[in-house]
Amino acid sequence: MGQSSRLKPYLYAAPLMALLLFVFGYPLVQIFEFSMKLIRGIDGPWIGFRNYELIFGQDLFWEAVRHNLQLLIAIPIMVAWSLLVSILLYDRLKGWKLYRVLIFIPYILAIPIIAAIMKKMFQFDGPVNDALRWIGADFLALDWIGSSDYALWTVMLLIIWRESALGIILFLARLLNLDESLIEAARLDGANWWQRVRHVILPQMRVVIEFYVVVSVITILSSVFAYVYIMGGGRGGPGTSTVVVELYIFGAIVRQSLPGIASAVSVLLFLVSLLLIVPLFAMRRRANEEEVG
Amino acid sequence: MTSKTNGSTISRRRMMQTSAALGAGAIAGSAFPAWRVRAAEEINMWWWGEQELPGLQGFVEDSVKNYTAATVKPMLQDTAVVISQFQTAAAAGKAPDIQYLWNGIYHMESVWLGYLQPLDGLMNADVLKASQPTLLSHYDGHIYRMGWYPLPMIWIYNKDLFEKAKLDPEKAPATWDDFLAACDKLKSAGVSPVGGGIQDGYWGEWYWGHAISQIVDTPGEAVKLFTGELSFEDPKYFEPWARLEELKKHDFLNPEMSSTELYPGIDLTVAGKVAMGESIGARMPKDNETTGDKIAPMVMPVFGKSKLAGKPIFDTQGLGISKDAKDPKAAAAFLEYLQSPERQKALHDKTGWISSNSGTDTSVLKSPVVLDMWKRWGQGDNIPYISNVVPGQFYEQALLPTAQQVVAGKITGEEAGALAAKVTKEWRDFNPDMVDNYKKWSQDLG
Repeated sequence: MGQSSRLKPYLYAAPLMALLLFVFGYPLVQIFEFSMKLIRGIDGPWIGFRNYELIFGQDLFWEAVRHNLQLLIAIPIMVAWSLLVSILLYDRLKGWKLYRVLIFIPYILAIPIIAAIMKKMFQFDGPVNDALRWIGADFLALDWIGSSDYALWTVMLLIIWRESALGIILFLARLLNLDESLIEAARLDGANWWQRVRHVILPQMRVVIEFYVVVSVITILSSVFAYVYIMGGGRGGPGTSTVVVELYIFGAIVRQSLPGIASAVSVLLFLVSLLLIVPLFAMRRRANEEEVG
Repeated sequence: MTSKTNGSTISRRRMMQTSAALGAGAIAGSAFPAWRVRAAEEINMWWWGEQELPGLQGFVEDSVKNYTAATVKPMLQDTAVVISQFQTAAAAGKAPDIQYLWNGIYHMESVWLGYLQPLDGLMNADVLKASQPTLLSHYDGHIYRMGWYPLPMIWIYNKDLFEKAKLDPEKAPATWDDFLAACDKLKSAGVSPVGGGIQDGYWGEWYWGHAISQIVDTPGEAVKLFTGELSFEDPKYFEPWARLEELKKHDFLNPEMSSTELYPGIDLTVAGKVAMGESIGARMPKDNETTGDKIAPMVMPVFGKSKLAGKPIFDTQGLGISKDAKDPKAAAAFLEYLQSPERQKALHDKTGWISSNSGTDTSVLKSPVVLDMWKRWGQGDNIPYISNVVPGQFYEQALLPTAQQVVAGKITGEEAGALAAKVTKEWRDFNPDMVDNYKKWSQDLG
């Protein structure tokens, strides 16, 4: 094959590659550049790492990071809940097909819609507290979204409820592809339900669980904006109790006219997400290999 | 080699050729911007306000249709981009001729960036003054905004609940002591004395705007809190939050306040569930129509001794002319047209609200309560709304969160002052270029 023939495929691909570079690469370069500038309007003077210095020295930024990390507590709960529900559905309890649809509904609804409904429900004089008072559990009728002691936990509850739907569907799909003869053999050998789950089902689901965990970590670190925006009154309140990194970025660029600061935090978030994507790809590769194997 | 897609076959060569064509087409498309022609007499106007004053769009369309001196092309902006869209366009030299402007810092930053033209010299001075741009539109001796429609900042009380607590429904408490005494009576009568909703934070902004004007003698004094010449740690300047803490400690605030948003919170007073609260004048016609003139305006009860204490606060939404206006005189002529008596009447017909013009025909106001409010707030000895001088960073990270936390009983007024001082210092570090602008602005603000 001549040199011109070897180059031909790259020449064909070049325009589209150039377009992709422009669409994705240009903004990325701009964000790195903006993070080193004091932007006013659409440009500003070069200030080196000053934006990063300011961010690292600010309590609110670290509070936002801490809130993201606190939300990670939701992941083991989501995994356990999704596993339990998917295995129960796999056991074909009566009406399982209907339950499967109902459980997946929150995932197809837009987050702002369910967050707005949840917010109404959890108001101090809302239906949740009304129900608690009605059954005599007044001590549990808390100011769920109005108190900085509980607001982030209430947001977490919503995240668990909605994001678990994805886990359930993923796990159920994997369960439906399991080799049933192994489970049947364990049953014939006298293994009870828990032993079958522990020693036969879970080992075969390891890869899909790992995949779900990594996806959930990325979601919680970089895709919970809509939850906290609605539940926290648009500002991560009460006080700053539900501010997360994404909301910090939004506030800096839209409400404080600080695109340089917003860019610097975006760069940090991008780098952290990048670190998490590496194991995600590794897992997908391993899953593919297992399927082929 | 071929790849299969939905049963059909596509050669890799064909796919690459298609990709190349698509990519080249897209690049070529972006390289040649659309050719735009704008007639010389065409005026572009970016505006906002339908979101808070339903019917304003009808008024704008009607005004554009009836204006014969030029063709005006209006564009309603989204709330989230009113400032950023204008500033981005101005930075690119493509700002509209006329731009909607919120008051104070919300347009002053565009002034400092050189994106707006002074209106004095372009507009008739008497018309501009009558529009009530307010002091917060002044910078370096010039006025950069024309008032369009008014936002009297008011406290309100429910006359029925006052009667229930055996209070005079025609006399709102004027001093802080009278106010606390009234709250005691209301509480004894089983009524939530004061509050609203602070879940989205805005109540805290309004509260501070009312309270700080009892502390400072001029808006310029408030600006000095941000430039570092004065400090929120001084008991004098954290007193607004200390007073709020006092209301919390006496259990005078409605219990659902922390989980209720601003407007549903105002509805609580209209619905007879909370006796006193904060509101804006634009709501008064509707609220009094609903209740049969049972919602009355009041000035925040006075605890401070400043020159501004006890005076009604009057804010306006406005319009300005950008540096990119092709014919600033033509744009100014359209702004003057919006202030004509005929347009003032049209504004009321379309929105049920009135023009900010101090000479507006008040005969259109049917409710005696609303008329009384307009005479005191719109035509009386009013003062500007000082919350509009607050920098965005302070607004987001101190002004709203502190009030929320004081109302929730999580921090004291003094702690609120310490947090405010810390955020102000951070604002100066983050915005070193803005500090000098603020210092200069404070000279215009007295």
